[in-house]
Amino acid sequence: MKYLIASARVGIVGDEYEPTPGVNIEALIAGGFITTEKESTETPKKSPTIKKTPKE
Amino acid sequence: MATSTYLSGITTLTVNAVDVADQCTMLSVTELRETLDQTTLTNSSRRFRGGLYNNEITMTLLQSYVAGETFATIQPLVGVTTTVVATVTDGAVTKVITLANCYLESMPLINANLGELSTVDLTFVGGDLSIA
Repeated sequence: MKYLIASARVGIVGDEYEPTPGVNIEALIAGGFITTEKESTETPKKSPTIKKTPKE
Repeated sequence: MATSTYLSGITTLTVNAVDVADQCTMLSVTELRETLDQTTLTNSSRRFRGGLYNNEITMTLLQSYVAGETFATIQPLVGVTTTVVATVTDGAVTKVITLANCYLESMPLINANLGELSTVDLTFVGGDLSIA
């Protein structure tokens, strides 16, 4: 899971937050200081293939 | 005699990685090692040695219920362990004091005195103290 900084009291807003040992992540989320950004597990959809009509 | 007068000596103070230096009006860090009595019948006076460490950080923060301020920082930490880091600068010397895995037992949710700024007194106990 990826964390993003949401408060200037923790760091630069928008930057990724790297959890450090001893820091309570749940409390930071509860206080609104960081947010979670779930990494997408969906596989990218293939672009539709266009069938070419044979030339006469 | 050397003295330290705190005009603005605490350069950073973080609780659970959140900067609260601009809310702090008092900070006290105590390294404490419990006393074990090892006096025996062969001694004519008490002998002691150090036992477990039981360090303590106390601080006073200005109360604020606004998002991202004191209440939001501290309230989720009641009953859990966290890390407090204080950096003190005295002339050319800088000390970074870290108390990791310390425990916050309580937090006053309301501390109101008529005509005064509201503050909260916090005590973090236990944990591992390091000085760098």
